[in-house]
Amino acid sequence: MKAFTIAGINLRRFVRDRSNVFWVLVFPILLILVLGAAFGGSSDPRLGVYEAGDGELSGGLVLLLEEQSGMQVVGFESRDDLVATVERGEVEAGLIIPADYDAGLQAGRSVVVELAIRSAEDAQGIRGNVQSALTQQSGVLRAAAFVQAEGAGTFADGLDVAAATGENIPDVTVTVSSVGEQIGYFQLGRFDASAQAELLLFMFLTSLTASAALIQTRRLGVARRMVATPTPVRTILIGEGLGRFVIALLQGVFIMVGTLVLFNVDWGDPIGASAILIVFALVGSGAAMLMGSLFSNDQQAGGLGVLFGLGLAALGGCMIPLIIFEYFAPTLFNIAHITPHAWGLEAFDALVIEKGTVVDTLPFLGILLGYAAVFYLLAIWRLRKVLTS
Amino acid sequence: MDSRASVLECRDLKKSYGDNAAVKGVGFHIAEGETYGLLGPNGAGKTTTISMVTGLLERDSGEVFVNGLPLTTTSIDAKREIGLVPQDLAIYPDLTARENLIFFGKLYEMSGSDLKKRVDEVLEIIGLTDRAGDRTEEYSGGMKRRLNIGLGLLHQPRLLLLDEPTVGVDPQSRNAILESVEQLSGEGMAVLYTTHYMEEAERLCDRVGIIDLGEIKAEGTRRELVQLVGQHDRIRLQATGPCAAGVEALASLAAVREAGVRDGGIEMLVDNADRWLAEILGKVSGAGVGISSVDVEEPNLESVFLHLTGRALRD
Ligand SMILES: Nc1ncnc2c1ncn2[C@@H]1O[C@H](COP(=O)(O)OP(=O)(O)OP(=O)(O)O)[C@@H](O)[C@H]1O
Ligand SMILES: [Mg+2]
Repeated sequence: MKAFTIAGINLRRFVRDRSNVFWVLVFPILLILVLGAAFGGSSDPRLGVYEAGDGELSGGLVLLLEEQSGMQVVGFESRDDLVATVERGEVEAGLIIPADYDAGLQAGRSVVVELAIRSAEDAQGIRGNVQSALTQQSGVLRAAAFVQAEGAGTFADGLDVAAATGENIPDVTVTVSSVGEQIGYFQLGRFDASAQAELLLFMFLTSLTASAALIQTRRLGVARRMVATPTPVRTILIGEGLGRFVIALLQGVFIMVGTLVLFNVDWGDPIGASAILIVFALVGSGAAMLMGSLFSNDQQAGGLGVLFGLGLAALGGCMIPLIIFEYFAPTLFNIAHITPHAWGLEAFDALVIEKGTVVDTLPFLGILLGYAAVFYLLAIWRLRKVLTS
Repeated sequence: MDSRASVLECRDLKKSYGDNAAVKGVGFHIAEGETYGLLGPNGAGKTTTISMVTGLLERDSGEVFVNGLPLTTTSIDAKREIGLVPQDLAIYPDLTARENLIFFGKLYEMSGSDLKKRVDEVLEIIGLTDRAGDRTEEYSGGMKRRLNIGLGLLHQPRLLLLDEPTVGVDPQSRNAILESVEQLSGEGMAVLYTTHYMEEAERLCDRVGIIDLGEIKAEGTRRELVQLVGQHDRIRLQATGPCAAGVEALASLAAVREAGVRDGGIEMLVDNADRWLAEILGKVSGAGVGISSVDVEEPNLESVFLHLTGRALRD
């Protein structure tokens, strides 16, 4: 019961400072909004294009794509880049034009261009646009081939002629292969992946900066005064932690509901998502209590809190998706799992990508609860020591 | 020595910080309704002692019993009996006095209308009723100190520990604080009061322990302490008439150690002025001396401290 009293006073002091409310509740949503807008400012779907070669036909296809309405074309410098960006949901689909595109077409072979997509719905319009650009180009090609075959000039000369009269000439079939399935079962909306990462990042960051609050309580002498009352140190620490837990949880719920309403982000099974929130808030508050017991300077703890908050998030896959680690740096993928963030993200993957329920998150939640328990126990041990010596 | 129930009993308390032996075997007891003073200069070990007595500081050795209950840093029952007024302020600056009081009241397991009523009473005692709704960061230093004291009184503890509560308080508030301590002690509370103000110790404390360099050098009532070092009361009489005859008349009293005529009166050193004053006045006026005023100066704890340690209480 006293833990609730202590948590209550902690919360009361927190909300009394209005700027706290801004940083914890409003700011993360704003940031997610800005990050989302940076990639998704317009509602037109985006097609990333990578040209492996630098041929005229390949370039021509890009120009044709750019002329298509209801779609934006974004150029990419490497295939990996493009694929990763599609995976992250920052563009809806990626078109890879092979290096032998020009040569193949000139030789009259059919050429395969790959279209990497995430979700069928998102890519529907894009796929249609790509088809129609290809159709237009193949018509032109057919004409060029015809001109060349008739001996009226070179292929290139023919191309010019054909381009002028392109529309009326029959199609050449070009195979389009969707590689979406080859790179994973990505069914996420545009904001989904980043929203989950940001949720964990912010919840942890906010919790850690709260370690300064515990240090302040110690420095004000009120923590010792509490020890002089008939209140065990563990109750004091759990109370302080509980206050911070509630704040982290509140922030999590706010981000979840906010992104759901604003961007229609898919958080998966609501019970599972709530369970992740609760457990992750426990981890965050535990880490904050540990830091608040270890350090005795609140400025220092505040700074380190930001450093750890961002550092662990980056390491844990909140900035670059874990799947990229897994593909390109397996060691890093393993290291990432030192952080609670990685387990939190895995738990979300189980819900959102694999369409699981809370049961599927249990292994990850178990690990996260382990983190929370260790943090709290160490913090209690340490706080007892610093308050009574 | 004291037939009343012992509320605090501590023995052989020791605490070192690294090589610095801050407290080297301190022990004392305080009975119900008794005020015990720890008088000593900066760094004497007063706060360290009080911290061990409240279970705030892990001690190196020694024992503490409160109401017969053993006390350590993890004791709960014994801590229920103690009210602490720490030397350094320990209040939330961003909460009001009332909020501070209610919060700590709850930690002392009070609740509901009892708590509310008691908070109002305490606000009255510390004179903060009018400002109870203001954040304490807006208070003057003295007001904060008063709240700091109020927080220790809240749950009407059997044992109240005050660690230099009047430092930095104006004379009026200081007097109010001393008065409330006297009143609480009158109501049966046992009080441990640390100070380096000799006057406070003399005014409040039934018994005083003189502490220096982590040791209690001497302990007892003010009178016992004074006698311990063989000091005498000084009596000055403003007098007219045959002063020399008056002095001669005093020679028959063994308690009068030294007497002489000094600027228009008689001055003497006496073993126990309280006990002998009436007789002294009788002898002197019997010798035909007219007495216009009497001034008794008892030797003070300051001089006792000087005698015991060779240093002044405040340097
Ligand atoms: N936390 C600490 N760490 C190291 N040394 C300490 C600590 N607290 C007190 N000391 C040392 O212990 C000795 C006794 O200090 P203490 O605070 O008990 O004195 P005090 O009698 O309360 O003095 P004051 O009148 O100045 O409050 C001093 O030498 C002090 O430097
Ligand atoms: Mg002190």
